[in-house]
Amino acid sequence: MPSLSFAATIILDGISYGMVLFIISVGLTVTMGLMRLVNLAHGSFAMIGGYIAGYLTQNGYNFYLALLIASIVPGILGGLAEVTLFRPLYRKGELAQVLLTIGFVFVVTAAVTGIFGAFPYPVKFPDYLTRPLDIGFRTYPGYRLFLIVVGAIIAAVLWYVIEGSLFGARLRAAVDNPRMARAVGMNVNVLFTGTFVIGCALAGLGGAVGAGILSPEPSYALKYVVLFLVVVIVGGEGSFKGSFVAAMALGVIDTVGKYFFTEAAAYLLYAAVFVLLLWRPQGLLPPKSVA
Amino acid sequence: MRWFAGAVAAVALSLSAGAASAAEVVKIGLIADFTGAFAVWGTQFQHAIEAYQAIHGKTVKGPDGKDYEIQYVYRDNVSAGPDKTKQLAEELILREKVKMLAGFDLSPHAMAVADIVNQVKMPVIIMNAATASITRNSPYFIRVSMTIPQNVVPLAQWAYKSGIRRIYMITSDYAPGYDAANFFSKEFTKLGGQIIGADKSPQQETNFGVYMEKVLQAKPDALYMFQPAGSPSVSLVKAYTERGLKQAGIKLLGTGETEEFQMDAFNDDVIGTITSFHYTETNKTPLNVQLRATLTKLYGPKETPDIASVAAWDGTDLIYRSIAVLGPNADGDKYIDFMRHAKLNSPRGPAEIDPVERDIVQNMYIRRVEKRDGKLVNIDIDTVPMVKDPWKLENPPKSN
Repeated sequence: MPSLSFAATIILDGISYGMVLFIISVGLTVTMGLMRLVNLAHGSFAMIGGYIAGYLTQNGYNFYLALLIASIVPGILGGLAEVTLFRPLYRKGELAQVLLTIGFVFVVTAAVTGIFGAFPYPVKFPDYLTRPLDIGFRTYPGYRLFLIVVGAIIAAVLWYVIEGSLFGARLRAAVDNPRMARAVGMNVNVLFTGTFVIGCALAGLGGAVGAGILSPEPSYALKYVVLFLVVVIVGGEGSFKGSFVAAMALGVIDTVGKYFFTEAAAYLLYAAVFVLLLWRPQGLLPPKSVA
Repeated sequence: MRWFAGAVAAVALSLSAGAASAAEVVKIGLIADFTGAFAVWGTQFQHAIEAYQAIHGKTVKGPDGKDYEIQYVYRDNVSAGPDKTKQLAEELILREKVKMLAGFDLSPHAMAVADIVNQVKMPVIIMNAATASITRNSPYFIRVSMTIPQNVVPLAQWAYKSGIRRIYMITSDYAPGYDAANFFSKEFTKLGGQIIGADKSPQQETNFGVYMEKVLQAKPDALYMFQPAGSPSVSLVKAYTERGLKQAGIKLLGTGETEEFQMDAFNDDVIGTITSFHYTETNKTPLNVQLRATLTKLYGPKETPDIASVAAWDGTDLIYRSIAVLGPNADGDKYIDFMRHAKLNSPRGPAEIDPVERDIVQNMYIRRVEKRDGKLVNIDIDTVPMVKDPWKLENPPKSN
């Protein structure tokens, strides 16, 4: 029967999985909340990050350098895509947004298959992250602890930026009331592009560090986009704190579900989402504009 | 205008004379996925066929002493399912006038052509489609690949023989996974072993941490996995090492997840994994050496054969031999009659067709993943000779 140490393991598993979901999805929640863009292409930036990290680490480059590049490149690509592809879509209907962004996914998927082949493309983690680590009451994968640390650092930095900086204040203002934000003279376009760049860079980073759980492969962008959207919707579109809470909750629910009801685990997550949304249709912690 | 008619007649005559001197073309239709999620099958089939033709030439001498050119007509199923397969088969038969069909990576695709080929009595050489019952769907089906039970049962026997008594199973939640779990556990418990836990994981699962925790708690001698090639099996192996199962002495058994051409996706964690399969890429039979050398010559040093390659090779060899003996215009039943009594000259090792079931009987190899010259490869550690599909032994044909 599950002991206390086992319960702790399950919680750690859930949190580390949740951290990956959080890092990848937080950018999506802000762009969906801020720009009202139904962006199904977000997973492609995470996938690009994963492939870049895979390519660099397999070719002997330093792991942390690989992570850096795996965030910078998707960030730049995201910025370019925002200016050229997505900006004309903001005033179009949701159908146009869905079609264009899903088309973007297909293009990236085909490109990745063409360059890297149809097989999974692993990131080579440093040795100390692939071994079990003694954490006192048991051994536990070092990789999972690394995920928790990275996720916590990113959450703390984002929390500081969004709650404590001028950029964050503008961002919150623009999410809550974009028309008023424009009216008082904010350059919302620049804000949009900046947020998009950061969101895609984080997705790339998440795709790279999370590669041990969500492994890079051509179908990645399509396969996991539902998970990322679920985090955004359950957390409340545009809510940074909401996406954190939602990612943790879903990570833990999925993990606990898999342990106790292995066969039904695939459905359990969606059942949980169903219940959560019945309870809070606007998400767990929606921003003020929709609360 | 008589000069004109005469000229036309002369040209026509010279054309037909030219055609008669060149070898008559015998078309073989090959249906497989060349694009989409299963694209790798079509490519591997085609490369092996081209390697075979590079070695043996494109023509074969018929019983009448004439040369016949064997020409494959490739059709892409675009990973679009059985309806598409049916349409392609009709087109190949009616418009391209193919003499035989070959290929078929997925079981539903093979099943979809049964009705059509029954009507026109056309032999079908199945080069993958591993659902055990398939060859019962049409008397014109010949299979040169394998079945899941054929792979799984010898592994269970080997596990018991090597002293493993308690096994935990994690199998994928789709039809081949059910077959694997069912046949593995039946055989293993029949021998006296014990299945102490069994989980089904979603088909595309990549987060195996929790499963490994359950296995750790159950403390089996070995973990048996049946996972689709690609990210699920790679992730499972990763979680297996990361969670300390390897260090805890729990062996990892599988069924062909560690094919050499996908080995790059694994890291050294996979070393020591034991799998059963009907083709080991490192085997030293002359045919396999020849196949590998030719593939390397045609497609570069990274080109690696897999089970699709050997099946396409063997299927092509069967086609060549049946044309040599029967010519290009024999009755479908005649071809089938020839093929079902054939022994295969296969890079995989000894194999033959079971004349009653028209399905392959072959050696199964128990292999361990090892690192040789800096490369991860499968090395044979045991051979189970001439295994017949256990499903068919369990479900004997109904006598009408």
